[in-house]
Amino acid sequence: MRELINVIYWITWKDLRCELRNRENLAAMLFFALNILLVFSFSFAMDDLTAILPGLIWTAFGFTSIVGLGRSFVPEVQNDCVEYYQILPVHKGAIYLGKLVGNLVFMTLVGLALVPLLVLFFNIDLGGATWILLLIFLAGMAGLAILGTLFSALTSRIRAREVMFPLLLLPLSVPVFIGAVEATRGALAGDPLPLYRHWIDLLLIFDGIFVIVAFWISELILDD
Amino acid sequence: MASETALRGILLCKSYAHYPVLTQVSLSVYAGECYALFGANGAGKTTLMKILSTLLSPTSGHVEILGCHGANQKAEARASLFLLGHGTQLYDDLTALENLQFALGLRGLSPSMSEMKSALDRVGIGPFARYRSRDLSAGMKRRLAIAKVWLARPKVLLMDEPYAALDVAGIEMTHDLIRDARRREAAVLFTSHDVDRAARVADRAGTLQNGRLEETPSPAPRSKTDARVN
Repeated sequence: MRELINVIYWITWKDLRCELRNRENLAAMLFFALNILLVFSFSFAMDDLTAILPGLIWTAFGFTSIVGLGRSFVPEVQNDCVEYYQILPVHKGAIYLGKLVGNLVFMTLVGLALVPLLVLFFNIDLGGATWILLLIFLAGMAGLAILGTLFSALTSRIRAREVMFPLLLLPLSVPVFIGAVEATRGALAGDPLPLYRHWIDLLLIFDGIFVIVAFWISELILDD
Repeated sequence: MASETALRGILLCKSYAHYPVLTQVSLSVYAGECYALFGANGAGKTTLMKILSTLLSPTSGHVEILGCHGANQKAEARASLFLLGHGTQLYDDLTALENLQFALGLRGLSPSMSEMKSALDRVGIGPFARYRSRDLSAGMKRRLAIAKVWLARPKVLLMDEPYAALDVAGIEMTHDLIRDARRREAAVLFTSHDVDRAARVADRAGTLQNGRLEETPSPAPRSKTDARVN
Protein backbone atom coordinates (compact mmCIF):
# COMPACT_ATOMS: atom_id res chain seq x y z
CA MET A 1 0.00 0.00 0.00
CA ARG A 2 2.86 2.36 0.85
CA GLU A 3 4.48 1.70 -2.53
CA LEU A 4 1.16 2.39 -4.23
CA ILE A 5 0.72 5.77 -2.51
CA ASN A 6 4.37 6.60 -3.18
CA VAL A 7 3.94 6.03 -6.94
CA ILE A 8 0.66 7.98 -7.04
CA TYR A 9 2.34 10.87 -5.21
CA TRP A 10 5.37 11.03 -7.52
CA ILE A 11 3.40 10.76 -10.75
CA THR A 12 1.01 13.48 -9.64
CA TRP A 13 4.00 15.59 -8.55
CA LYS A 14 5.64 15.12 -11.93
CA ASP A 15 2.49 15.84 -13.95
CA LEU A 16 1.65 18.99 -12.02
CA ARG A 17 5.22 20.27 -12.23
CA CYS A 18 5.51 19.58 -15.99
CA GLU A 19 2.10 21.03 -16.79
CA LEU A 20 2.52 24.16 -14.70
CA ARG A 21 5.84 24.68 -16.47
CA ASN A 22 4.76 24.16 -20.10
CA ARG A 23 1.00 24.82 -19.73
CA GLU A 24 0.40 22.99 -23.03
CA ASN A 25 -2.67 21.05 -21.96
CA LEU A 26 -4.09 23.71 -19.66
CA ALA A 27 -3.85 26.40 -22.33
CA ALA A 28 -5.33 24.14 -25.02
CA MET A 29 -8.22 23.12 -22.76
CA LEU A 30 -8.95 26.63 -21.58
CA PHE A 31 -8.99 28.23 -25.03
CA PHE A 32 -11.04 25.39 -26.47
CA ALA A 33 -13.62 25.76 -23.69
CA LEU A 34 -13.67 29.54 -24.11
CA ASN A 35 -14.33 29.11 -27.81
CA ILE A 36 -17.22 26.73 -27.22
CA LEU A 37 -18.81 29.01 -24.63
CA LEU A 38 -18.47 32.04 -26.88
CA VAL A 39 -20.04 30.21 -29.83
CA PHE A 40 -22.89 28.96 -27.63
CA SER A 41 -23.48 32.38 -26.11
CA PHE A 42 -23.92 33.90 -29.56
CA SER A 43 -25.94 30.98 -30.93
CA PHE A 44 -28.79 30.77 -28.44
CA ALA A 45 -31.38 33.28 -27.35
CA MET A 46 -30.67 34.25 -23.75
CA ASP A 47 -34.30 34.07 -22.64
CA ASP A 48 -34.73 30.43 -23.58
CA LEU A 49 -31.73 28.78 -22.02
CA THR A 50 -33.17 26.92 -19.04
CA ALA A 51 -33.86 23.71 -20.94
CA ILE A 52 -30.61 23.52 -22.86
CA LEU A 53 -28.13 25.13 -20.47
CA PRO A 54 -27.09 21.90 -18.66
CA GLY A 55 -26.44 20.32 -22.06
CA LEU A 56 -24.37 23.30 -23.17
CA ILE A 57 -22.33 23.25 -19.97
CA TRP A 58 -21.53 19.55 -20.20
CA THR A 59 -20.83 19.73 -23.92
CA ALA A 60 -18.23 22.38 -23.12
CA PHE A 61 -16.78 20.38 -20.21
CA GLY A 62 -16.87 17.10 -22.12
CA PHE A 63 -15.15 18.23 -25.29
CA THR A 64 -12.64 20.27 -23.33
CA SER A 65 -11.77 17.13 -21.39
CA ILE A 66 -11.18 15.22 -24.61
CA VAL A 67 -8.64 17.83 -25.68
CA GLY A 68 -6.69 17.48 -22.45
CA LEU A 69 -7.09 13.80 -21.71
CA GLY A 70 -6.17 12.64 -25.20
CA ARG A 71 -2.63 13.91 -24.75
CA SER A 72 -2.29 12.77 -21.16
CA PHE A 73 0.03 9.82 -21.85
CA VAL A 74 2.01 11.40 -24.68
CA PRO A 75 4.88 12.53 -22.40
CA GLU A 76 5.12 8.99 -21.03
CA VAL A 77 5.73 7.54 -24.47
CA GLN A 78 8.32 10.15 -25.41
CA ASN A 79 11.86 9.09 -24.45
CA ASP A 80 10.51 5.64 -23.51
CA CYS A 81 9.50 6.85 -20.04
CA VAL A 82 6.78 4.23 -19.97
CA GLU A 83 9.50 1.55 -20.03
CA TYR A 84 10.69 2.88 -16.69
CA TYR A 85 7.17 2.54 -15.30
CA GLN A 86 6.83 -0.97 -16.64
CA ILE A 87 9.87 -2.14 -14.74
CA LEU A 88 8.73 -0.66 -11.43
CA PRO A 89 7.91 -3.41 -8.95
CA VAL A 90 4.42 -2.07 -8.24
CA HIS A 91 0.92 -2.68 -9.55
CA LYS A 92 0.53 -0.59 -12.69
CA GLY A 93 -2.81 0.63 -11.36
CA ALA A 94 -0.75 2.99 -9.19
CA ILE A 95 0.56 4.67 -12.33
CA TYR A 96 -2.99 4.96 -13.63
CA LEU A 97 -4.18 6.50 -10.37
CA GLY A 98 -1.29 8.97 -10.37
CA LYS A 99 -2.17 10.09 -13.89
CA LEU A 100 -5.85 10.23 -12.95
CA VAL A 101 -5.23 12.55 -10.00
CA GLY A 102 -3.18 14.88 -12.20
CA ASN A 103 -5.82 14.92 -14.94
CA LEU A 104 -8.59 15.54 -12.45
CA VAL A 105 -6.70 18.51 -11.01
CA PHE A 106 -6.23 20.05 -14.48
CA MET A 107 -9.85 19.45 -15.46
CA THR A 108 -11.09 20.91 -12.20
CA LEU A 109 -8.90 23.98 -12.63
CA VAL A 110 -10.19 24.56 -16.17
CA GLY A 111 -13.78 23.85 -15.10
CA LEU A 112 -13.58 26.28 -12.20
CA ALA A 113 -12.08 28.91 -14.49
CA LEU A 114 -15.13 28.53 -16.72
CA VAL A 115 -17.67 29.12 -13.95
CA PRO A 116 -17.39 32.94 -13.94
CA LEU A 117 -17.68 32.88 -17.74
CA LEU A 118 -20.79 30.71 -17.56
CA VAL A 119 -22.34 33.13 -15.08
CA LEU A 120 -21.35 36.04 -17.30
CA PHE A 121 -22.35 34.64 -20.70
CA PHE A 122 -25.50 32.77 -19.70
CA ASN A 123 -26.61 34.76 -16.70
CA ILE A 124 -26.72 31.66 -14.50
CA ASP A 125 -27.99 32.08 -10.99
CA LEU A 126 -26.15 29.56 -8.84
CA GLY A 127 -28.32 30.56 -5.91
CA GLY A 128 -28.23 28.11 -3.03
CA ALA A 129 -27.19 25.22 -5.24
CA THR A 130 -23.48 26.07 -5.32
CA TRP A 131 -22.33 23.10 -3.23
CA ILE A 132 -24.54 20.56 -4.95
CA LEU A 133 -23.44 21.89 -8.34
CA LEU A 134 -19.84 21.55 -7.20
CA LEU A 135 -20.49 17.92 -6.24
CA ILE A 136 -22.14 17.23 -9.61
CA PHE A 137 -19.29 18.95 -11.39
CA LEU A 138 -16.65 16.92 -9.53
CA ALA A 139 -18.49 13.62 -9.97
CA GLY A 140 -19.02 14.26 -13.69
CA MET A 141 -15.45 15.39 -14.28
CA ALA A 142 -14.18 12.39 -12.32
CA GLY A 143 -16.20 10.07 -14.57
CA LEU A 144 -14.70 11.63 -17.68
CA ALA A 145 -11.21 11.62 -16.19
CA ILE A 146 -11.48 7.97 -15.11
CA LEU A 147 -12.38 6.82 -18.62
CA GLY A 148 -10.20 9.36 -20.39
CA THR A 149 -7.06 8.44 -18.47
CA LEU A 150 -7.63 4.76 -19.15
CA PHE A 151 -8.18 5.22 -22.89
CA SER A 152 -5.33 7.66 -23.11
CA ALA A 153 -3.04 4.93 -21.76
CA LEU A 154 -4.59 2.39 -24.11
CA THR A 155 -4.17 4.51 -27.22
CA SER A 156 -0.86 6.16 -26.32
CA ARG A 157 1.24 3.80 -28.40
CA ILE A 158 -0.97 3.41 -31.45
CA ARG A 159 -0.62 5.47 -34.58
CA ALA A 160 -4.31 6.43 -34.89
CA ARG A 161 -4.39 7.77 -31.32
CA GLU A 162 -6.28 10.98 -32.17
CA VAL A 163 -9.02 8.97 -33.92
CA MET A 164 -9.26 6.07 -31.52
CA PHE A 165 -9.32 8.07 -28.29
CA PRO A 166 -12.68 9.85 -28.81
CA LEU A 167 -14.11 6.75 -30.48
CA LEU A 168 -13.50 4.79 -27.30
CA LEU A 169 -14.24 7.53 -24.79
CA LEU A 170 -17.46 9.06 -26.10
CA PRO A 171 -19.72 5.99 -26.24
CA LEU A 172 -18.68 4.81 -22.80
CA SER A 173 -19.07 8.23 -21.24
CA VAL A 174 -22.75 8.52 -22.26
CA PRO A 175 -23.95 7.60 -18.72
CA VAL A 176 -21.72 10.34 -17.28
CA PHE A 177 -23.15 12.94 -19.64
CA ILE A 178 -26.74 11.88 -19.01
CA GLY A 179 -26.29 11.77 -15.24
CA ALA A 180 -24.41 15.08 -15.14
CA VAL A 181 -26.86 16.90 -17.42
CA GLU A 182 -29.94 15.68 -15.55
CA ALA A 183 -28.48 16.42 -12.13
CA THR A 184 -27.30 19.87 -13.27
CA ARG A 185 -30.76 20.58 -14.69
CA GLY A 186 -32.38 19.73 -11.35
CA ALA A 187 -29.89 21.79 -9.34
CA LEU A 188 -30.10 24.85 -11.61
CA ALA A 189 -33.91 24.71 -11.62
CA GLY A 190 -33.89 24.73 -7.82
CA ASP A 191 -35.66 21.37 -7.54
CA PRO A 192 -35.58 19.58 -4.18
CA LEU A 193 -32.56 17.24 -3.99
CA PRO A 194 -34.60 13.97 -3.80
CA LEU A 195 -36.00 14.73 -7.27
CA TYR A 196 -32.61 14.46 -8.98
CA ARG A 197 -30.48 12.70 -6.39
CA HIS A 198 -30.63 9.41 -8.32
CA TRP A 199 -28.66 11.07 -11.13
CA ILE A 200 -25.93 12.03 -8.69
CA ASP A 201 -25.99 8.46 -7.36
CA LEU A 202 -25.59 7.21 -10.94
CA LEU A 203 -22.50 9.39 -11.38
CA LEU A 204 -20.96 8.26 -8.10
CA ILE A 205 -21.65 4.57 -8.77
CA PHE A 206 -20.27 4.90 -12.30
CA ASP A 207 -17.12 6.55 -10.93
CA GLY A 208 -16.69 3.88 -8.27
CA ILE A 209 -17.11 0.95 -10.63
CA PHE A 210 -14.95 2.30 -13.41
CA VAL A 211 -12.09 3.44 -11.20
CA ILE A 212 -11.81 -0.12 -9.86
CA VAL A 213 -12.09 -1.65 -13.35
CA ALA A 214 -9.54 0.81 -14.76
CA PHE A 215 -7.14 0.15 -11.88
CA TRP A 216 -7.05 -3.55 -12.67
CA ILE A 217 -7.04 -3.17 -16.45
CA SER A 218 -4.05 -0.82 -16.18
CA GLU A 219 -1.86 -3.75 -15.21
CA LEU A 220 -2.62 -5.33 -18.60
CA ILE A 221 -2.32 -2.11 -20.57
CA LEU A 222 0.85 -0.76 -19.03
CA ASP A 223 2.72 -3.96 -18.39
CA ASP A 224 3.04 -5.37 -21.90
CA MET B 1 34.03 -16.46 -11.27
CA ALA B 2 31.46 -15.33 -8.75
CA SER B 3 29.19 -18.13 -7.66
CA GLU B 4 25.69 -16.61 -7.54
CA THR B 5 23.75 -16.37 -10.77
CA ALA B 6 22.09 -12.98 -10.79
CA LEU B 7 20.43 -13.10 -14.19
CA ARG B 8 19.50 -16.17 -16.14
CA GLY B 9 17.67 -16.67 -19.39
CA ILE B 10 16.70 -20.27 -20.00
CA LEU B 11 15.94 -21.60 -23.49
CA LEU B 12 14.44 -18.31 -24.58
CA CYS B 13 12.58 -18.28 -27.88
CA LYS B 14 10.85 -15.29 -29.41
CA SER B 15 9.03 -15.04 -32.71
CA TYR B 16 7.38 -12.04 -34.31
CA ALA B 17 4.56 -13.13 -36.64
CA HIS B 18 6.14 -16.58 -37.05
CA TYR B 19 9.53 -15.04 -37.75
CA PRO B 20 11.92 -16.46 -35.17
CA VAL B 21 14.16 -13.80 -33.63
CA LEU B 22 15.56 -15.85 -30.76
CA THR B 23 15.95 -19.60 -30.80
CA GLN B 24 16.64 -21.38 -27.52
CA VAL B 25 18.92 -18.71 -26.15
CA SER B 26 20.33 -19.47 -22.73
CA LEU B 27 22.43 -16.98 -20.86
CA SER B 28 23.68 -16.52 -17.32
CA VAL B 29 25.27 -13.48 -15.79
CA TYR B 30 26.81 -13.87 -12.37
CA ALA B 31 26.89 -11.41 -9.51
CA GLY B 32 29.89 -9.15 -9.92
CA GLU B 33 30.23 -10.00 -13.59
CA CYS B 34 29.87 -7.96 -16.75
CA TYR B 35 28.63 -9.61 -19.93
CA ALA B 36 28.81 -7.91 -23.32
CA LEU B 37 26.30 -8.86 -25.97
CA PHE B 38 27.15 -8.30 -29.61
CA GLY B 39 25.24 -8.85 -32.82
CA ALA B 40 24.41 -7.19 -36.10
CA ASN B 41 21.46 -4.83 -36.46
CA GLY B 42 18.25 -6.83 -36.16
CA ALA B 43 20.02 -9.79 -34.57
CA GLY B 44 17.65 -9.62 -31.58
CA LYS B 45 19.81 -7.88 -28.97
CA THR B 46 17.11 -5.43 -27.89
CA THR B 47 14.49 -8.18 -27.93
CA LEU B 48 16.70 -10.28 -25.67
CA MET B 49 17.29 -7.31 -23.34
CA LYS B 50 13.57 -6.67 -23.12
CA ILE B 51 12.86 -10.30 -22.34
CA LEU B 52 15.60 -10.44 -19.72
CA SER B 53 14.26 -7.28 -18.13
CA THR B 54 10.72 -8.79 -18.01
CA LEU B 55 9.39 -6.11 -20.36
CA LEU B 56 8.58 -8.64 -23.05
CA SER B 57 7.29 -12.17 -22.68
CA PRO B 58 9.24 -14.84 -24.50
CA THR B 59 7.38 -17.22 -26.81
CA SER B 60 8.91 -19.97 -24.71
CA GLY B 61 11.56 -20.26 -22.03
CA HIS B 62 11.84 -18.15 -18.92
CA VAL B 63 13.94 -15.64 -17.07
CA GLU B 64 15.23 -15.68 -13.50
CA ILE B 65 16.47 -12.58 -11.73
CA LEU B 66 18.20 -13.24 -8.42
CA GLY B 67 16.31 -16.49 -8.19
CA CYS B 68 12.90 -14.95 -8.89
CA HIS B 69 10.89 -16.19 -11.84
CA GLY B 70 10.51 -13.38 -14.40
CA ALA B 71 6.86 -14.18 -15.12
CA ASN B 72 5.50 -15.56 -11.85
CA GLN B 73 7.40 -13.28 -9.46
CA LYS B 74 7.61 -10.16 -11.57
CA ALA B 75 7.53 -7.63 -8.75
CA GLU B 76 10.29 -9.38 -6.80
CA ALA B 77 12.36 -9.83 -9.95
CA ARG B 78 11.99 -6.19 -10.93
CA ALA B 79 12.82 -4.82 -7.49
CA SER B 80 16.54 -5.28 -8.07
CA LEU B 81 16.60 -4.57 -11.81
CA PHE B 82 17.43 -1.45 -13.77
CA LEU B 83 17.22 -1.13 -17.55
CA LEU B 84 18.91 1.67 -19.41
CA GLY B 85 17.26 1.34 -22.78
CA HIS B 86 17.53 3.19 -26.08
CA GLY B 87 15.42 6.06 -24.72
CA THR B 88 16.70 8.26 -21.92
CA GLN B 89 13.50 7.84 -19.87
CA LEU B 90 13.64 11.53 -18.96
CA TYR B 91 10.95 14.21 -18.90
CA ASP B 92 11.78 17.25 -21.00
CA ASP B 93 10.03 19.67 -18.65
CA LEU B 94 11.73 18.51 -15.48
CA THR B 95 15.19 19.75 -14.55
CA ALA B 96 18.09 17.33 -14.29
CA LEU B 97 17.70 17.26 -10.50
CA GLU B 98 13.95 16.80 -10.68
CA ASN B 99 14.34 13.94 -13.14
CA LEU B 100 16.62 12.19 -10.65
CA GLN B 101 14.28 12.95 -7.77
CA PHE B 102 11.28 11.61 -9.68
CA ALA B 103 12.88 8.45 -11.05
CA LEU B 104 14.34 7.47 -7.70
CA GLY B 105 11.28 8.56 -5.75
CA LEU B 106 9.17 6.15 -7.81
CA ARG B 107 11.44 3.37 -6.60
CA GLY B 108 10.98 4.46 -3.01
CA LEU B 109 14.47 5.96 -2.84
CA SER B 110 15.01 9.43 -1.46
CA PRO B 111 18.58 10.54 -2.05
CA SER B 112 19.58 13.83 -0.48
CA MET B 113 20.16 16.91 -2.61
CA SER B 114 23.90 16.64 -2.04
CA GLU B 115 23.91 13.00 -3.17
CA MET B 116 22.05 13.92 -6.35
CA LYS B 117 24.33 16.86 -7.04
CA SER B 118 27.40 14.73 -6.51
CA ALA B 119 26.00 12.11 -8.92
CA LEU B 120 25.51 14.86 -11.51
CA ASP B 121 29.04 16.12 -10.86
CA ARG B 122 30.29 12.59 -11.29
CA VAL B 123 28.81 12.34 -14.77
CA GLY B 124 30.02 15.83 -15.63
CA ILE B 125 26.73 17.73 -15.77
CA GLY B 126 26.75 19.24 -12.29
CA PRO B 127 26.56 22.83 -13.61
CA PHE B 128 23.39 21.91 -15.50
CA ALA B 129 21.54 20.50 -12.48
CA ARG B 130 18.79 23.10 -12.73
CA TYR B 131 18.48 23.04 -16.50
CA ARG B 132 15.42 21.44 -17.98
CA SER B 133 16.12 18.14 -19.67
CA ARG B 134 14.88 19.58 -22.99
CA ASP B 135 17.78 22.06 -22.89
CA LEU B 136 20.42 19.35 -22.54
CA SER B 137 22.22 17.74 -25.47
CA ALA B 138 21.69 14.08 -26.34
CA GLY B 139 24.98 13.15 -24.69
CA MET B 140 24.14 15.11 -21.54
CA LYS B 141 20.76 13.39 -21.33
CA ARG B 142 22.55 10.08 -21.57
CA ARG B 143 24.85 11.13 -18.75
CA LEU B 144 21.83 12.11 -16.68
CA ALA B 145 20.42 8.64 -17.24
CA ILE B 146 23.73 7.22 -16.03
CA ALA B 147 23.48 9.39 -12.91
CA LYS B 148 20.16 7.70 -12.19
CA VAL B 149 21.89 4.33 -12.15
CA TRP B 150 24.67 5.65 -9.89
CA LEU B 151 22.05 6.57 -7.31
CA ALA B 152 19.75 3.58 -7.78
CA ARG B 153 22.60 1.05 -7.31
CA PRO B 154 20.68 -1.89 -8.81
CA LYS B 155 21.81 -5.47 -8.30
CA VAL B 156 21.13 -6.29 -11.94
CA LEU B 157 21.89 -3.67 -14.55
CA LEU B 158 20.93 -4.02 -18.20
CA MET B 159 22.11 -1.42 -20.71
CA ASP B 160 21.09 -1.36 -24.34
CA GLU B 161 23.74 0.36 -26.46
CA PRO B 162 25.12 2.40 -23.55
CA TYR B 163 27.74 4.12 -25.71
CA ALA B 164 25.14 5.72 -27.97
CA ALA B 165 25.42 9.54 -28.10
CA LEU B 166 28.34 9.57 -25.65
CA ASP B 167 31.72 11.18 -26.21
CA VAL B 168 34.96 9.55 -25.06
CA ALA B 169 34.64 10.98 -21.54
CA GLY B 170 31.03 9.80 -21.39
CA ILE B 171 32.04 6.30 -22.42
CA GLU B 172 34.68 6.29 -19.71
CA MET B 173 31.95 7.27 -17.21
CA THR B 174 29.87 4.35 -18.40
CA HIS B 175 32.86 2.09 -17.83
CA ASP B 176 33.28 3.57 -14.33
CA LEU B 177 29.62 2.82 -13.69
CA ILE B 178 30.10 -0.79 -14.79
CA ARG B 179 33.22 -1.19 -12.68
CA ASP B 180 31.43 0.26 -9.67
CA ALA B 181 28.53 -2.14 -10.23
CA ARG B 182 30.90 -5.09 -10.37
CA ARG B 183 32.69 -3.96 -7.23
CA ARG B 184 29.43 -4.10 -5.31
CA GLU B 185 28.67 -7.54 -6.77
CA ALA B 186 26.00 -6.41 -9.21
CA ALA B 187 25.55 -8.18 -12.52
CA VAL B 188 25.84 -6.11 -15.68
CA LEU B 189 24.70 -7.03 -19.16
CA PHE B 190 25.06 -4.62 -22.03
CA THR B 191 24.76 -4.63 -25.79
CA SER B 192 27.17 -2.91 -28.09
CA HIS B 193 28.61 -2.83 -31.56
CA ASP B 194 31.92 -1.56 -30.27
CA VAL B 195 33.79 -4.76 -29.55
CA ASP B 196 37.06 -3.10 -28.61
CA ARG B 197 35.52 -0.71 -26.10
CA ALA B 198 33.26 -3.37 -24.61
CA ALA B 199 36.23 -5.67 -24.12
CA ARG B 200 37.73 -3.19 -21.67
CA VAL B 201 35.06 -3.90 -19.08
CA ALA B 202 33.42 -7.20 -20.04
CA ASP B 203 34.34 -10.47 -18.37
CA ARG B 204 32.49 -12.53 -20.93
CA ALA B 205 30.86 -11.86 -24.25
CA GLY B 206 28.39 -13.47 -26.59
CA THR B 207 27.22 -12.83 -30.11
CA LEU B 208 23.68 -13.19 -31.35
CA GLN B 209 23.55 -14.58 -34.83
CA ASN B 210 20.64 -16.19 -36.65
CA GLY B 211 18.67 -16.19 -33.42
CA ARG B 212 21.28 -18.13 -31.49
CA LEU B 213 23.73 -16.97 -28.88
CA GLU B 214 27.30 -18.02 -29.30
CA GLU B 215 29.50 -17.47 -26.31
CA THR B 216 32.69 -15.91 -27.53
CA PRO B 217 35.87 -15.43 -25.67
CA SER B 218 36.07 -11.80 -24.61
CA PRO B 219 37.73 -9.98 -27.51
CA ALA B 220 40.60 -8.97 -25.30
CA PRO B 221 40.47 -11.66 -22.61
CA ARG B 222 41.28 -10.50 -19.14
CA SER B 223 40.47 -11.68 -15.68
CA LYS B 224 37.84 -9.98 -13.60
CA THR B 225 40.55 -8.67 -11.29
CA ASP B 226 42.36 -7.08 -14.20
CA ALA B 227 39.21 -5.49 -15.44
CA ARG B 228 38.49 -4.10 -12.00
CA VAL B 229 41.92 -2.53 -11.78
CA ASN B 230 41.31 -0.81 -15.09
